[in-house]
Amino acid sequence: MCDVVTVQKIANCLGIDPGKIELNDEQVVTRTGAANKTVAGFATILESLARESKSETAQNSIVSREVQAQVYQWIEFAVLYVAPGSKDKYVSKQLLADFNKMFLSKSYLVGHFITLADLAVYYAISELVKSLSPVDKENYLNLSRWFDHLQQRPEIHQGEPMLNFTTIYLHNWATGTHI
Amino acid sequence: MIIYTNEGNPLGLQLLMLAKFAKRTAQVQLVNLNDAKYKDLLVLPTMELDNGLRLFSGAAIAKYFLGDESQQRDEWLEWSTTLLAPALAHHMAVGHRADPNALPVLNNLVKKLDDHLKNSSYLAGDKVTAADIAVWSLLAPDGTLKGAQNVDNLRSWYGKIKALSEVQQVLGEQSLKDLSFNALQQANRYGGLHHVPLKRSISTDAGKLLAETASTVADTITDEEISAARAAFIYNKPQEFAEPRTVLPKAGERNVLITSALPYVNNVPHLGNIIGCVLSADIFARYSRAAGYNTLLICGTDEYGTATENKALAENMTPREICDKYFELHNSIYRWFGIGFDYFGRTTTQEQTDIVQEAFKDVYNAGYILTESVEQLLCQKCDRFLADRFVEGTCPHPGCGYEDARGDQCDKCGKLVNATELVRPRCKVCNTAPVLRSSEQLFLDLPKAEPQLREWVDRVENGWTHNARVITRAWLREGLKPRCITRDLKWGIPVPHKNFEKKVFYVWFDAPFGYVSMTKRYTKDYEQWWRPDANTDVQLFQFMAKDNVPFHSVVWPSVLLAVNKGNTLVSHIMATEYLNYEDGKFSKSRGIGVFGNDAQETGIPADVWRFYLASARPEGQDSSFSWNDLAARNNSELLNNLGNFVNRALVFCEKNFSSTVPHVVLAQDEVVLLALINRELRGYINSMEKAKLRDGIRHLLAISRHGNGYMQTQQPWVLLKGNADQKTHAATIIGLCINIACLLANLLFPYMPSTARQLFAQLNAKQTPLKADKPLTTLLLPAGHKIGKPSPLFSKLEQQFINELKAKYGGVQDTQTATSQQSNVADLEAAVQAQADQVRQLKASTKDKTVWQPEVSKLLELKKQLEAAQKTATTATPAAAVAAAIPQKSTQSSSVQDLEKMVQAQGEKVRQLKSSTKDKAVWQPEVNVLLDLKKQLEAAKAEPPAPRAAATSTQAAPDAATQVKDLEDKITKQGEKVRTLKASGDATIWKPEVDILLNLKKELSSLTGAPVAGAQGKNKKKK
Repeated sequence: MCDVVTVQKIANCLGIDPGKIELNDEQVVTRTGAANKTVAGFATILESLARESKSETAQNSIVSREVQAQVYQWIEFAVLYVAPGSKDKYVSKQLLADFNKMFLSKSYLVGHFITLADLAVYYAISELVKSLSPVDKENYLNLSRWFDHLQQRPEIHQGEPMLNFTTIYLHNWATGTHI
Repeated sequence: MIIYTNEGNPLGLQLLMLAKFAKRTAQVQLVNLNDAKYKDLLVLPTMELDNGLRLFSGAAIAKYFLGDESQQRDEWLEWSTTLLAPALAHHMAVGHRADPNALPVLNNLVKKLDDHLKNSSYLAGDKVTAADIAVWSLLAPDGTLKGAQNVDNLRSWYGKIKALSEVQQVLGEQSLKDLSFNALQQANRYGGLHHVPLKRSISTDAGKLLAETASTVADTITDEEISAARAAFIYNKPQEFAEPRTVLPKAGERNVLITSALPYVNNVPHLGNIIGCVLSADIFARYSRAAGYNTLLICGTDEYGTATENKALAENMTPREICDKYFELHNSIYRWFGIGFDYFGRTTTQEQTDIVQEAFKDVYNAGYILTESVEQLLCQKCDRFLADRFVEGTCPHPGCGYEDARGDQCDKCGKLVNATELVRPRCKVCNTAPVLRSSEQLFLDLPKAEPQLREWVDRVENGWTHNARVITRAWLREGLKPRCITRDLKWGIPVPHKNFEKKVFYVWFDAPFGYVSMTKRYTKDYEQWWRPDANTDVQLFQFMAKDNVPFHSVVWPSVLLAVNKGNTLVSHIMATEYLNYEDGKFSKSRGIGVFGNDAQETGIPADVWRFYLASARPEGQDSSFSWNDLAARNNSELLNNLGNFVNRALVFCEKNFSSTVPHVVLAQDEVVLLALINRELRGYINSMEKAKLRDGIRHLLAISRHGNGYMQTQQPWVLLKGNADQKTHAATIIGLCINIACLLANLLFPYMPSTARQLFAQLNAKQTPLKADKPLTTLLLPAGHKIGKPSPLFSKLEQQFINELKAKYGGVQDTQTATSQQSNVADLEAAVQAQADQVRQLKASTKDKTVWQPEVSKLLELKKQLEAAQKTATTATPAAAVAAAIPQKSTQSSSVQDLEKMVQAQGEKVRQLKSSTKDKAVWQPEVNVLLDLKKQLEAAKAEPPAPRAAATSTQAAPDAATQVKDLEDKITKQGEKVRTLKASGDATIWKPEVDILLNLKKELSSLTGAPVAGAQGKNKKKK
């Protein structure tokens, strides 16, 4: 997904009018907000949105300096490794395995609450997760659980079709209506 | 505080500087991410704070330490990590990862820095911030700014930062020379920063700022290399190649025995098979001969086994006839590809039988054979035990109950099946029910051979490819189990053992001995290769795809170790990964990929195929065949690089020196060129010795690239018009280039033999032996040598042509065969029947005349054709009609399966869509597609009985019986479908299905009521 769309989606999540989002001459995403103030760079824009928003996710993301630093590093991770790496067969496997391991012991990337880190990684990895077979989804069970949990929030899935994480993937052949 | 980083990582510098500015002390710990201890670290460098918090982002750490400085600082921080660092990593990378597009991007970034610093003393205002630290720490290592021009502002800023006492302290601890962007490869498990796409600025082009690194390659040549290159460049009268009639190993010389995995005879080879074994083996063998080793290349077809028996049944031939037919196919394909086997044999020879039976007796006498009883299905009518593929029956898995499950797998539920567990099993040949009998089988006692095998593997596995080692280790780790080496088949080598005379050897004990028996066909002295004297050393290289590794690394060596007669054991297993076709799999049934003689039909020369396949050889990881890549490599590497260089040199020599090689006087430039070429030559030899064919090509092309660069910078066409000195220099250039061309012809020979021969002819030269122990360029063609007539070696592949090929081999190409086949009466009758059925179906399902009218017209047209055919064809006997109908039946039933799969998939899609949205506009088109597919499926299912009905009337009774059975099947299936659909609730969807069900039931009742009048019963249904 391109940076512009992702920024717009995240702004929607935070309940903020992002203003004008476009790519500048260097192909870097920029935001022209109120009073013609411009901000350049994906992570920097997300930080500016977090400061303006009153939403739970935004407030969680700036609760302390420690949290702020960790949120920032996951946003950067999403930009440098998740989004480009998802297109590579080997890197994507590594990413899935790493995230799956991380979500073994926690529900969100930073602390115990949803933050911008989750949003950034969610949108960066969603195409990859979409491409997984039911068996793979089961292999990366922890990652699947985190993803499924996030996509249930209407402000996150934003009308996109929800991914199916049911583990009974043979239901096509079942004739009953119990599913 | 601890900084975890890896050796040479330039990003560690930033963390050290940040710590210094934040007045904290940090210890650096060098780690390796492959070390299990550090498996929790994702990205290096990672800073661990005293409170245990781990941060791996320089920008995050800067913000944490220094707080909020300004938005401008934040933007620069992000800019440096997401734009500058990846561009530097791309630019500084070495080898195949080096990216020539990175320099312009980097120049733009540097220009932006320089422009910004014109009006501002630091990046974010007039104070040093974390942004300055981040950017500076990226520019300092690797000397990015060395030799850069027009960046004065940037330089003065760089100097100011460097002079800061904090920076000086850091530089005291961490030397800049040790840092390199290549270290980023080991800094994470995501390929460093290699996958981050470069962002190319749209409008600005900064021009040249940074110095190009390429020009410095020549600076790295050492004096030793120079003097070695100069000393070696003399003329030695070349040795003639001795080509004995029969190659045999000799004591004291290097003897290389090469085998390529035996292709199974009735598999049509595709490009992946070809590069996986035979072509790789051939290229290596050609190299090995050129290096002067005694080389024998053996291959052949593996012909025994169930699959051949099956195929023989399907094609109504004997297994022997099948093998003869397919052997020729293999042979002709490999001949076209220019594979120069010393002998291409087969496993169905007397030699093979003798050798296998003798080996068995040896293994038996050595005590490595066990007898165990195995439960198997016996068909009493055919009087034989049934191999898994010869049994069909009802799937035993609960909830499936598919009636045509095979003995090894159920096609409906996809689960593995044990042939003995099938409910109501039946023999595939005669359809009678087999009985369960236990049959005695012979097993190879691998556990007993395991200790010897382990000892041997430890000793030799260094010569194997990585995947061969891994696969073998995995087998050994699990522990070896006894393997059954006999089968109850007819097509195979009889087991020479009491009570086992009716059994044959299984492929594990058969095929590998093919290498030996084929060598025996080649020479009666085959034992010199396979059981050499103690003082003769034979190295066995075996080429194969990775699925064949256990055969060659575990099973066969165990047999030979058990026999213990001093047999040659494999020293080098050369296993490739898989070649994909345009990122998918090759599939014969779907017509995807390039098979057998397709390559020949494209009109692209065999040598170009060889070159491309070798350069896309799946070494190390799977690779893909791609038409675009084929065209690109042909056009850029063969045509523009190699072909261009060689042709220019030859044409210059012909035009300006009347086809006579001029005298070469080595000056500094020439010796540097020779030294560079010697480096590549050494690389070529080293790669080829290890059969790394892909790398060999890379070095070969690098030599011609050096040659091209040399000619381009020296510009002999200018010098030729100058004074006497300049003219002599031009002569040197041409003389040297002709010699390089001759070297290239020698290096090219293993890959492209006929092109190399052409080039030798143009040079009027002969192949000279490669000196693997002393890889230095010599004067091959002395002054005064007359060359032949130059002509271009390669031609361009146009994009349009490539697009056509891509479409042709991309699958779904069988449409035209359906129409062309209808030449004989039987086929036409079948087609009329099928079409009639379809029309009936359509009329039954809809009253809309516009839908069925076109089908009716088709039917009428077919009937007309049939009439005409019947008049001309007087010889079409019923027997022929039956014979013709049988293969057609099988193709139709497979298309039914395909359709069922499509319906299944489409149904799933519709269900998902409906569950996710209530918007009918979204799912309605998909529903229509589904209905359409179902209709097609019904039509296809109705077809199989048709040809039988068209056959003679004597067959009507059994036919009606099977028809009834088919109908019953269909009714149960249809009933199931209707139930599922009704559950989903939408009447518009299930109504048509119910109608079909009712029709089917009607049909059934009419059939059972009057079995002989099957066709009439169907006609009644017509409204």
